[in-house]
Amino acid sequence: MLKPLVQLLGDDVPVLHRYVCMAVFYALLSGLTLTTLVPVLGHLLAGDVRGAALWLLLTLAGMAVCWTCRRRVERAGVAVGVAILQGARQRIGDHVARLPLGWFSAQNTGQLGHVITQGMMAVAQLPAHVFTPVITGAVTPLVIVVALFAVHWPLGLIALLGLPVLAVALLLSARLGQRTDRAFHRHFADASQRMVEFAQAQSVLRAFNGEGGGTQLLEQAIERQRTSGLRLIYQSSLSVVLNAWVVQVIFAALLIAAALWLNGLLGSTLDHAAVIALIVALLLSSRYIEPLLDVASYAEILRSASGQLDAVQAILAVAALPEPEQPQPPRDGSIELRNVSMAYAPDQPDVLHDVSLRIEPGSMTALVGASGSGKTTLVRLIARFFDAREGSVLVGGVDVRHMSGSHLAGQISQIFQDSYLFQGSIADNIRIGKPAASAAEILAAAQQAGLGELLGRLPQGLDTPVGEGGARLSGGERQRIAIARALIKDAAIVLVDEATAALDAENQQVIAQTLARLRGQRTLVVIAHQLSTVSMADRIVVLDNGRVIEQGTPAALLCANGRYAQFLEQRRAAKGWRVAHACASELQ
Amino acid sequence: MGTPHTAAAKPKMRGPVSQVLDPIRGRLLIAALLAGVGAMLTLVPLAGIAHVAGRVMGDNALTAHEVWWAVGAGVASLCAGMLLISAGELLAHLADNRITHHLRLAIVQRLSRVPLGWFTSRASGEVKQAIQDDINTLHSLTAHFYTTVGRAVGAIVLSLVYLFAMDWRMAIVSILPFPGFFLFFTRAMKASESNMQAFVEGMGRIDNAVVEFVNGIPVVKSFGAVGKAHASYREAVDAFARAFVGFTRPLVGSMANANAMIAPVAVLGGVLTFGTLFVALGWLAPLDVLPFALVTPGLCGPLLLLHYITHDLNNAVGAARRVQALLDTPVLEQPAAGMQQTPRGSEIRFEHVSYCYESAGRGLADINLVLKPGTTTAVVGCSGAGKSTLARLLLRFFDPTQGRITLGGVDLRQIETATLYRHIGFVLQEVRLIHASVHDNIALGRPSATRQQIEDAARTANIHARIVALPRGYDSVVGEDAQFSGGELQRVSIARAVLLDPPVLVLDEATAAADAESEVAIQDALSRFAAGRTLLVIAHRLDTVMHADQIIVLDNGTVFEQGSHTELLARKGLYARLWAQGDYQHSEEQAVPSC
Repeated sequence: MLKPLVQLLGDDVPVLHRYVCMAVFYALLSGLTLTTLVPVLGHLLAGDVRGAALWLLLTLAGMAVCWTCRRRVERAGVAVGVAILQGARQRIGDHVARLPLGWFSAQNTGQLGHVITQGMMAVAQLPAHVFTPVITGAVTPLVIVVALFAVHWPLGLIALLGLPVLAVALLLSARLGQRTDRAFHRHFADASQRMVEFAQAQSVLRAFNGEGGGTQLLEQAIERQRTSGLRLIYQSSLSVVLNAWVVQVIFAALLIAAALWLNGLLGSTLDHAAVIALIVALLLSSRYIEPLLDVASYAEILRSASGQLDAVQAILAVAALPEPEQPQPPRDGSIELRNVSMAYAPDQPDVLHDVSLRIEPGSMTALVGASGSGKTTLVRLIARFFDAREGSVLVGGVDVRHMSGSHLAGQISQIFQDSYLFQGSIADNIRIGKPAASAAEILAAAQQAGLGELLGRLPQGLDTPVGEGGARLSGGERQRIAIARALIKDAAIVLVDEATAALDAENQQVIAQTLARLRGQRTLVVIAHQLSTVSMADRIVVLDNGRVIEQGTPAALLCANGRYAQFLEQRRAAKGWRVAHACASELQ
Repeated sequence: MGTPHTAAAKPKMRGPVSQVLDPIRGRLLIAALLAGVGAMLTLVPLAGIAHVAGRVMGDNALTAHEVWWAVGAGVASLCAGMLLISAGELLAHLADNRITHHLRLAIVQRLSRVPLGWFTSRASGEVKQAIQDDINTLHSLTAHFYTTVGRAVGAIVLSLVYLFAMDWRMAIVSILPFPGFFLFFTRAMKASESNMQAFVEGMGRIDNAVVEFVNGIPVVKSFGAVGKAHASYREAVDAFARAFVGFTRPLVGSMANANAMIAPVAVLGGVLTFGTLFVALGWLAPLDVLPFALVTPGLCGPLLLLHYITHDLNNAVGAARRVQALLDTPVLEQPAAGMQQTPRGSEIRFEHVSYCYESAGRGLADINLVLKPGTTTAVVGCSGAGKSTLARLLLRFFDPTQGRITLGGVDLRQIETATLYRHIGFVLQEVRLIHASVHDNIALGRPSATRQQIEDAARTANIHARIVALPRGYDSVVGEDAQFSGGELQRVSIARAVLLDPPVLVLDEATAAADAESEVAIQDALSRFAAGRTLLVIAHRLDTVMHADQIIVLDNGTVFEQGSHTELLARKGLYARLWAQGDYQHSEEQAVPSC
């Protein structure tokens, strides 16, 4: 339980240590103060009020110290909670930002969201609300066991033996519930993911809800969540009953032992001192049992919390892209791939096979090929979205694995299909490309990206909020903001996925203008779609099934009459298409 | 759980919590009762100890038999008590499981009928929070609150009765710490109340920040390797931590005092102090202190539990309020039962249709259009002219602010949603596949379709061969072992529409999103699919729609021009200008270099 917490807290771990030490100290002190009731009650029952009063002073002093101590424990517990909500969340964020892109599947993303929001919230509540009563509940009985030994050793022995028995029972019931708990958390995260999808894909889901199909998946996920929730309820009820029963059995044993002792005393003339000791021992027993019952009742909460901690640990355990110890800066705007092979997962087939390629600084390269031929993977490897399985990728003459993340990011600008916009204004989103950009620079980049007309239409201009993921703007508008963001960055290498960046005619024009302007100034690598782009390139690389099958100047490839020539043919066929079906057949 | 309609119709007099809990109130009360009786039974052994001690110290008539009897009764009531408490907890949890499930489904049903604009103005994280997390927060209310109150009340009531029966003066002073606890406790609650709102808002913000952070990772990786780009996430985390500290700071001091006050040490110390004093004053026999020393500290446990649960209760009440508000969200008008009409034919008319977005800006004004069955209508215009709004109104993502749209002579608002979407299909620019198998994605609108029908649809959409090549074919899961390119996504979404086989098709001409090979495939698919249907095309490139039966030129939300390609060119208006700008005649020749 503590180990993942320590890992999660990282540098903040002294806060936890401080808290635990204080809580244990408080619990010991409470236990010691409780044991002073033995002489107080003893003297009182024996009729010695004066003696009782003297001992009582010690009790009162202990109480006062406990009180102040408790206040400090409480504060220390809140400090741990804050460290989790702030430090640990930041740590997860930093870690996740370094993970390879391949990790971000819908499932992992859903799980991550659950862990950061709900999970961390639950973990942060632990010290103040759970650990304090559990620590006091576990430590106080230890002190009382010692006192019981002093009063009547058989009772002390039973109490002592009861502790490991209870510990085993707690561990056992925790082990029992673990799998159910994990299943529940998985289903909970799945359902959460479906809910996000429900909101994001609402238009499609609604229109295709003819037979209830649109909400069916979400409803199924909610149903699974309910079923595994039910299983968890039965499971945890069982555990609770088991734990409580073990405590009760210990209590029963103590009562029976006390009864045996009492019956032994009954026969002869009553030994008053012994009877008083017995009564005090029974009182101690009840003080020993009660905290244990508390601990048992917290077992379920502890178990579900450790489920949350496991989920965090799993995320922190995913290997980040390694950063070099002595990073080298790129030397120029060149790109080179040496015998690169790439698979998205060890058990998946290669999407690139033994690709070697050199792109000179300042040149323009067009990547051409059918969908699935590996164009996107190749471009993403250059930007180190992930590392190649084999071979090496060099940017500016340096292996990307020997470069720091910031060096590489500074060298490359991307205009890709993922034109995700952050909540904030249009200007904020453009500024991501160059945090220090002046208002004039941002406006210039926006104009270059063809946003002039949009900005003129919006009353707030550049300060217009974009909504989550740019939900308030059209696809083309979002894309142009992403282009402006990439343009303002002013990097030596520009990677463009034209196929998806050019959503509509206007974007197409922007992309074409951008490419024309940057040509010769920057190293351009374009996943090409437009004939005009292809013809503009210094060099064309044709990919097929993850292999480079042709490369050269447009003219040379056209004359070779290979795949590139075929591609041109297809483009011409596409251009001839018309929506009105009657005419379409005519034209084809 | 009633239908959302009846829930909405209920008077607003009652609090959101009682509205939300209505269906399971009976169970919760039974659960509370079980827990209360159980808690009382667990106190019996303590009274037993006091009783035996009194007998043994008082006279010598105590027999071994009597001792065993006391032990037996004590242990038996302890077990029975634990069983009852467990049964109560189980009952409450089952009720919770039931109500949260129903609430989630009710919200999902409700939200499937609100205008789509509701979703665009909200982050998806908010929607998730409402359906998942808010309802989860209710857990502490439904599953724990009632039983905890039952246990606490049971234990406290029985203890008080017992203690007062023993000695009323001693009883009063023994329980002094508990009013003290409540004093500190209410003070703490008051202090936190004012910060509650900020705290809940902070929760919402951090949820959005997480959704954004996770989805924006590609951007973060390309710009933010320096650590700046996930600044908004960092800020949200820090801001939330600040809100948390602000929320807890006024709480901590009072809470610590409250907790310290009813710690067993403090309670027992109080009992012994007053006990000694009363004995010294001669008000009490020494032995009579014993019941108080045994029973009073036992009150701490239930009270502490009560405190934890009330701490959560604030959150739960807030959540219940948000859940209830969500269930009351206005929905798109649905035809009353019996008022539903079936469209006669598939002619579409826009009659004086206007639409204003809440957030001002774009909209449509007084649109009049007729889409004759079997004809193709193209909508062109600059971006922002209202093309997408027009299409979305026809798909009833929103209702017009003024005027009406009819399908087969019937107002869209009089057509049942399911019927409407059997008549009108669409392929929009933004392709959304869901996290499910390819099969399920295509069968979205017709879950009952056979594999053969689905494969036929996929063939029509030119995507069958690609799907078969996937590791698990049609059973491959999108986003897992089915990774599609933009063009392929589009073809899957076409297959989805094909399977639905609607007489009217709304098409967002977005073929530019595809690569060369896909583009031919998509266009081929669309040509086949569109044949014989009423077609509304949102066009971005004029040359693709030049042969449409009618072309609508939108500008600034109004129909600027209308006619066929030749008519519009002859008019030398906006369309002619756009056509000239597009330079469509020459684009092909230019691009192809000579050998």
